[in-house]
Amino acid sequence: MTVTDQQEGQQHRPRIWAIGGGKGGVGKSVIASGLAMSLAARGERCILFDADLGGANLHTFVGMPNPQRTISDLFRRAAATLDDILLPTPFPNLSLISGARAQLDMANPAWLQKVKLIRQLTILPADHIFIDLGAGSSFNMLDFFLAAQNGLLVLMPTPTAIENTYHFLKASYYRRLRSVIRHLEAEDLVDAALATKVQNGVRSPRELLLDLQQRDPQVAQRLQRAMARFTPKLVVNQVQRSEDRELGAKMVIACRDFFGIDMGEPALIRNDERVLVALKSRRPVLEMFPGGPFAEDIRRLLALMLPAKEASHGQR
Amino acid sequence: MDRDDLQRSYALLGLTSDANLREVETAYRQLRELFDEASLATYSLLDYADRQEKLESLQIAFDVITQSRICPLPQDEPPVTSDTGTVCDPRTTPGLHLQQHRERLGLSLQDVAERTKIGIYHLRNIEAQNCDKLPANVYLRGFVREFARTVSVEDVDAVVDGFMAISRQPTESN
Repeated sequence: MTVTDQQEGQQHRPRIWAIGGGKGGVGKSVIASGLAMSLAARGERCILFDADLGGANLHTFVGMPNPQRTISDLFRRAAATLDDILLPTPFPNLSLISGARAQLDMANPAWLQKVKLIRQLTILPADHIFIDLGAGSSFNMLDFFLAAQNGLLVLMPTPTAIENTYHFLKASYYRRLRSVIRHLEAEDLVDAALATKVQNGVRSPRELLLDLQQRDPQVAQRLQRAMARFTPKLVVNQVQRSEDRELGAKMVIACRDFFGIDMGEPALIRNDERVLVALKSRRPVLEMFPGGPFAEDIRRLLALMLPAKEASHGQR
Repeated sequence: MDRDDLQRSYALLGLTSDANLREVETAYRQLRELFDEASLATYSLLDYADRQEKLESLQIAFDVITQSRICPLPQDEPPVTSDTGTVCDPRTTPGLHLQQHRERLGLSLQDVAERTKIGIYHLRNIEAQNCDKLPANVYLRGFVREFARTVSVEDVDAVVDGFMAISRQPTESN
């Protein structure tokens, strides 16, 4: 436990990370497990939560081929709470909530079940919880993503991954926007703005907020403030060439222009053959190659996401 | 065109009104590239119509800003920057001065290139005041003089002096 954690007292809640991005096979699970292992090795209590129901395999990334308890036990009421299905991993400070053996109809848990899940997550005994989301932009994925303090959007520098990333980003942005609008009871105002969409040239969320500014500066300001907190981090995986390196920065500019949000510096993860080598031997990359480029870039990503903590570690 | 249009144009390019012409051009070029049909970074973010509209709005913003630099808006307040009142001056913005005269005569850069036998690459850089791409001063002086005469600039020496002042290379006398 770090000094800051003790200062926050016993009632401190875990920081929730969601690793999404819409496209399958871009490295969400390997990045989620890398982040968790890296922080666990520093003494932070970490939980990996495999939310890729129907395609769960996060256990394999932490060297647990056959998880004893999984979320399917929760859904068929063999376990009462998330706490009951928490599994220790071979690594200190690292636990797993496996999504294995979940039936296909469990891939879309009912709304109430999902709300309960999210509420239980926030009271688990941990410093960090990493939710590994599956592919796609279903409401379930979006709601887990929006519940997290640290949302990561993982993509590879390919048109298909970029397309899915923008789709995921738009879907989660609008889902958040809709709930904020409902909360502010500003539905009529927004409807009016959208009705005159064409003549006012409203093409993007940023332009919508500008238009609302003219109609009701007070509501617009509150809306803007709420949406300014929506700042997922772009993580470009398998970076090889200089164009790949620039891609993230360009997407951040495009998103600032389109959504009016500032996602900050994108994280880059270099292409590293060792990841495949580790995966084939079913051992975590960070355990097998702790000094490799992948491990290095995971640590850099952590520093980007936890700047204050990094600084305080250095000072103390 | 009013002052709000101008403010919006700067904002659209991610700039404030104290940006110099090179910054305006760079921002415009980068954003055009970012929202180009072939750009990977904005692939699928905008549909075809929105993308075209976006590109057009960038073009309009660029035009509004460059126009305002040639013919500054009437000032109701004291100028914010010291050179606001003298933007038409051939010494301060000699590139725009040349462009203004060339356009007034309805000449393209290609026309000027044919008449002066100066490469269009140099002519374009001279008009855009691309300091780091200008030829050596000894050539620059002659090029600018030819260019200015061809587009009927009244005070040729002023334009030449203007370029010598912005050119970052040491002058011959040094």
